[in-house]
Amino acid sequence: MTWDILKAALLLFVAVLVQVAVLSAYHPLGGRADIVLVVLLSIALLRGAIFGAVSGFAAGLLIDTANLDTLGFTSLLLTVAGFWIGRYGETTARDRFHAPYLSVAVVTALYTVCALALRFVLGDPAPAGVVLAGLPASILLNLILTLPIYALARRIFPPVAISDRVHEVRLLA
Amino acid sequence: MPRNRPARVAVLGSSVQRSATPGYSSSRSGALRRRIVVVCLVLAAFVLLTVSFRSSALDGVEGYGASALRPFEIAANRVAHPFRDATGYTRGLFDAKSENKQLEKKNALLWLELTEARENEQQNGAIAKLAHYASAPIFKDFTTIGAQVLSSPSDFDQSVTIAAGSDQGVKPYDVVVTSGGLVGQVTKVTKDVSRVMLITSASSSVRAVDVLHPEAVGQLDPGGGSGSLELDGVSKSAQVTMGDTVVTAGSPGKGQLPSLFPRGIVIGTVSSAGQNDTDIYKDIQVSASANLGSLQNVLVLVPKPQAAVKGKR
Repeated sequence: MTWDILKAALLLFVAVLVQVAVLSAYHPLGGRADIVLVVLLSIALLRGAIFGAVSGFAAGLLIDTANLDTLGFTSLLLTVAGFWIGRYGETTARDRFHAPYLSVAVVTALYTVCALALRFVLGDPAPAGVVLAGLPASILLNLILTLPIYALARRIFPPVAISDRVHEVRLLA
Repeated sequence: MPRNRPARVAVLGSSVQRSATPGYSSSRSGALRRRIVVVCLVLAAFVLLTVSFRSSALDGVEGYGASALRPFEIAANRVAHPFRDATGYTRGLFDAKSENKQLEKKNALLWLELTEARENEQQNGAIAKLAHYASAPIFKDFTTIGAQVLSSPSDFDQSVTIAAGSDQGVKPYDVVVTSGGLVGQVTKVTKDVSRVMLITSASSSVRAVDVLHPEAVGQLDPGGGSGSLELDGVSKSAQVTMGDTVVTAGSPGKGQLPSLFPRGIVIGTVSSAGQNDTDIYKDIQVSASANLGSLQNVLVLVPKPQAAVKGKR
């Protein structure tokens, strides 16, 4: 578990640096690739809800700090995203091939909409038209990133042996 | 129940505790812990958000954090720099290519516009020249009708069609000129279009004279070569030199033998003049001053009624 935490911290730290220093400058097709989100969702899928939520909180804090943004803004969104996808990974998404792609696509869309709503609530500029116009491209870019990142995450966080959710067997007759 | 359960397990009357696995926790305590963790984190995020948004209490902390992250960001920037350059170069290349295509299209359009403008300018110039030419005193007995030339002469057919016909007042045998000089005469007239026989046509013959040497009068006929003219019937005693201007001679005998061509229309210049003992007349070659191969606009000289009656041509 400790190793997992260290590995996740390192991976997310690198992802945040890449996101802040490199990817934030590019807007191919009007979209924005979010490597932190993809890494977080991959970790959450492989390690569950609590791990996902804590990772999301930490990664969000790091992003907000690096960008000198409102602290807690990204943390809040990534915590919820990590928790939700972690739960999905614990339950129905186990060993499903499409799980990471579905998670990334859905969470990218929801994350964008929620970020817009939160900015609007805070009174910050929330150019919904521009952001939503670039949403399909963002989803596409994140899906492209998912393939290598999820493969890497599976190597770093090998899937744990999963037991049945039912721990006790009671014979009826 | 799993189908491949061990027989021992299947016959047990009591519940069997399975060994705990290190995977996801899904017990009640796990669910509670999960909820507590996520609620705490969300609350912490809200607290951070509120404090950060409402006051500047966390600014110092954030600043320290950002400062601590700065070297890593710079390092990441440096690592990414070559890739960024490569991306920028590739993007620039694509941009340049698309820009090049756009500029090529624009250039082609501009060329078209320029050509059109030049053509219009040329045409305007030619028309202005023609208008000026039409006001010359020699045409005072004629109504001039401007017309666009619709076709070019060929080696076999030294005639052109013009965009003026009987509706515009054009009649057969009307003389056609351009600012360069004599072109020919109308041979066929329809409602809107007429056919003009050029002076280089085999059927054409015009009475012409050397302006500088009025005694050198003769018949201007097409020469041996395509587009060349010959001034026949000029006596050997007449003085004709190369470069002399040849014009239409008009009607001889004080109008008793009226000519279709009024006097004084420039035909061309003498390109060669010679004589030999066997010929009765001089051998004079004339090059037409009007560019008969590429006519664009012409004037049709329609005699005014009184001029036609008087027969002063």
